[in-house]
Amino acid sequence: MEADVGFILNTMRDPAGIPAPPWLFQVLMVLTWVAHIAFVLVTLGAAALSIVAFYLRHHHPHWQQLSIAMTKGAKIGVSLLIVLGVAPLLFTQVIYDPQWYTASVLSARWLIIFIFTLIIGYCSWFVFYYSNKPEAQTRLGLFALLGLGLFLLDGLIMHVLAYQSLQPDQWMNWYAPNGQVDTRGASLHAIQWSRFLFIISLSAPALALYLLAYADYYSRRSDRPKDYRDFVRQLGRRIGKVGCLISLPLLFWWLLDLPGHLSTSAHTPGWLLAGALIILAIQIDRLGSLPGRGYLLLFSGLIPLGLMALWREVIRVHAMKPFGYDIHDYTVHADLPSTILFFLTLLGIGGIFGGFLVLLLYRAGQVEGKYQADRTIARLGTLSVVVLGLWITVFFVYGFSIWVRHAIGF
Amino acid sequence: MDMLGMYPTFYVPEIGSAWVMGIIGTIHVVASHTSVGAAFLFALLATKAYRESRPELMDYVKRYGKVLLVFSYIIGSVTGVGIWYAITIASPRGTAGLIHNFVWVWAAEWVYFTVEVIGVYALVYLIEKVDRLTHLKLTWAFALASWATMLLIVGILSFMMWPGNDSWYLTGSTNDAFYNINFFAHLGVRTGSMLVMAVIVGLMIAGSMREKSPALRIEAVRTIVPMGILGGALAVLMFFYYLETLPYNAKVMLHSHLLPRYAAGMVLVVTITFIYFLAAWAKPLFLRNWITVPLFLFVAIIGVWPEERTRESMRKPYVAGQYIYGNQTIARDVPGKGILSEIEHISKHGILGIHPFIPETLRTVSEENRREVGELLAKISCGNCHSLEPGSPLRNLPDKFHGSTDVELIAAFINGPLKNGSVPYMPRIDLPEQETYAIATFIASQNLGERNRPSMPVDTTQSGATGEQ
Repeated sequence: MEADVGFILNTMRDPAGIPAPPWLFQVLMVLTWVAHIAFVLVTLGAAALSIVAFYLRHHHPHWQQLSIAMTKGAKIGVSLLIVLGVAPLLFTQVIYDPQWYTASVLSARWLIIFIFTLIIGYCSWFVFYYSNKPEAQTRLGLFALLGLGLFLLDGLIMHVLAYQSLQPDQWMNWYAPNGQVDTRGASLHAIQWSRFLFIISLSAPALALYLLAYADYYSRRSDRPKDYRDFVRQLGRRIGKVGCLISLPLLFWWLLDLPGHLSTSAHTPGWLLAGALIILAIQIDRLGSLPGRGYLLLFSGLIPLGLMALWREVIRVHAMKPFGYDIHDYTVHADLPSTILFFLTLLGIGGIFGGFLVLLLYRAGQVEGKYQADRTIARLGTLSVVVLGLWITVFFVYGFSIWVRHAIGF
Repeated sequence: MDMLGMYPTFYVPEIGSAWVMGIIGTIHVVASHTSVGAAFLFALLATKAYRESRPELMDYVKRYGKVLLVFSYIIGSVTGVGIWYAITIASPRGTAGLIHNFVWVWAAEWVYFTVEVIGVYALVYLIEKVDRLTHLKLTWAFALASWATMLLIVGILSFMMWPGNDSWYLTGSTNDAFYNINFFAHLGVRTGSMLVMAVIVGLMIAGSMREKSPALRIEAVRTIVPMGILGGALAVLMFFYYLETLPYNAKVMLHSHLLPRYAAGMVLVVTITFIYFLAAWAKPLFLRNWITVPLFLFVAIIGVWPEERTRESMRKPYVAGQYIYGNQTIARDVPGKGILSEIEHISKHGILGIHPFIPETLRTVSEENRREVGELLAKISCGNCHSLEPGSPLRNLPDKFHGSTDVELIAAFINGPLKNGSVPYMPRIDLPEQETYAIATFIASQNLGERNRPSMPVDTTQSGATGEQ
């Protein structure tokens, strides 16, 4: 391993190659990570606010209402961040398999701990969710604190795996310190606190944007009266400004913390990210208190997240360059049918059925009482069932023809 | 000398990494199958409620859905990722092989998984919140999407057993890998089982709704129980078909080791579940959770756990497509993908020569480091399927050699059946003599016990197994 890390890194690539051009996986990896981290940050922010609001609930009824809303938001957020985390991890394993698998094996026990702490943390959050009522006892907040603490621990574990995967020249030292092999996978070997804390700190601006959009979303509901929505909006504005101010120094720390051998171009997205955060803070300050701007601000939050996702990848590309690891060298064995399967599923099922669900939830949540689907929603619902039925039919007909071809040895 | 793309080794004393995988896998199968099966029960009940204008049936769906959210969608989704992590650390190369063959299939499953998670919230929270026809469409779409996740994963799981013909080896096409010989049989078993598990949980929900009207409970139970019986019948039927689609090594393993241990339990699970379903149908109001909850655990522990262990064990020595061994070695050529067998290369250079993660101090065997080298080689070559501590539960190697401390005897097995690959369910491990004796020395020393190690009376000098060769 010591002899030629780069050669071995390339040897560890899966010999089956990949079924489409590497850039495609790289693009999908970055894009899906944006969706994942957006939900991570909003969820952490909502969870933290729900706890704070829970302990402040006796000061004003708005805190109670907000705590319940944020608890529910965090509950749904965890489900979505888990499922949205699958895709970037999948695409990472396609083009950076040696890095991901080695980093995972070297801290294998922590990977298992991740699973069980996530389950315990989520169950704990559910206990808090079910018990977060006006008459709830203060000590029930401990369930929320436990949940949030475990979510942060899980975030740290994922950070460590990502960071360890950037340091192939250290792997052997971690696996066999002083020549003594350690197969327990019991340690977290490398943490870059600047990177971890910066990313976590973004949960404050993310929460702020969520609150601003939340205040706009419920503008038609009488059970979320204007004074409550104004309270939420002002709170969001304050958290947004303070959050950006906290995130910026952490971002500069991360920039300074990057290894010296990385070229200037590796730093560029980081500086752009700093600029985007400053602009975001100004926009939150300017527009945050105005009703009707919440969605605009929420979607503008995707710009810094996109830059951060891009920056992570630029850092990885630069970190791998000295080892001669370039994803574009990966052997490609193009597999058109399965590529088509994915993109048609993404468009047909994700687009139509996913669109139906999101639109239905969005509109139903805006009205009090029963929601009667309009024509668009009704058609989308019918189309969802038809498309799913069609997908399953094609799946079986196509599969059966291949299966028969195998059976008759043709 | 050319290195091979091996990864570091993760080893869990006593139970190996296989049991970690099995435990997480069992929890996941129970949770995920229940949720997919429940989606169809919901669709059935929602259709009945809509057609017969019986909105009270949706109370039952709502109660069940809330339980499902907590039970299946928290535990199911997290353990789904958990299985992935567990196989990653237990068999990184096997996992990489699957990912690189099926990435787009997994990505398509991810699309379904995402809409499923959004869908379950919509399904539960929009009951009586949106008009009934829209909700009915949502319920059916959700059921179909849930089943689609199963359709996609079963193809990959079936390929892990084997493709069943030469097509995939020659073409490398995902189509040929996915629609393999035991795909449909495997799908039938899982589809049937999911209904059985969902009905058992459904009976728990009915049993906990004693404040509701007897008519509602009777209606709900009598609607879902036939689905459970039909599902069970399908699962049993397809299981026998599934057995016919297995490769030779799996059948040997099944008949020699697995059926003698698990068959009685499986028959018991089927029989008791069937009787309970009949009793529930006949007397729905007498449902009691002190019976249903233990039944659910009984099915999970005596039914699902052995099923998962059996499927894992039958695949051996392979972990994917009969081309990657559990010990990370590529066992055969796959011309369609340009993959070459590594067995001859290892035979020629040994693991010590080709494995990137061997400390330099252990690359050459000496009298001083023989046991240490043997331990590392045993973990690399055997640790995926065997624990290395005497008396431990995962097919432990010291006991497999009947506690022998005879290095020659142990080495003879490695140099005989293992070297020639003549045990159907074990990998062909053809190592240079010094590595064989290092492993044999380690196993013998394990049988001698910890307290004997400092003055280990193991004589390997007569075997010619000195480090200088």
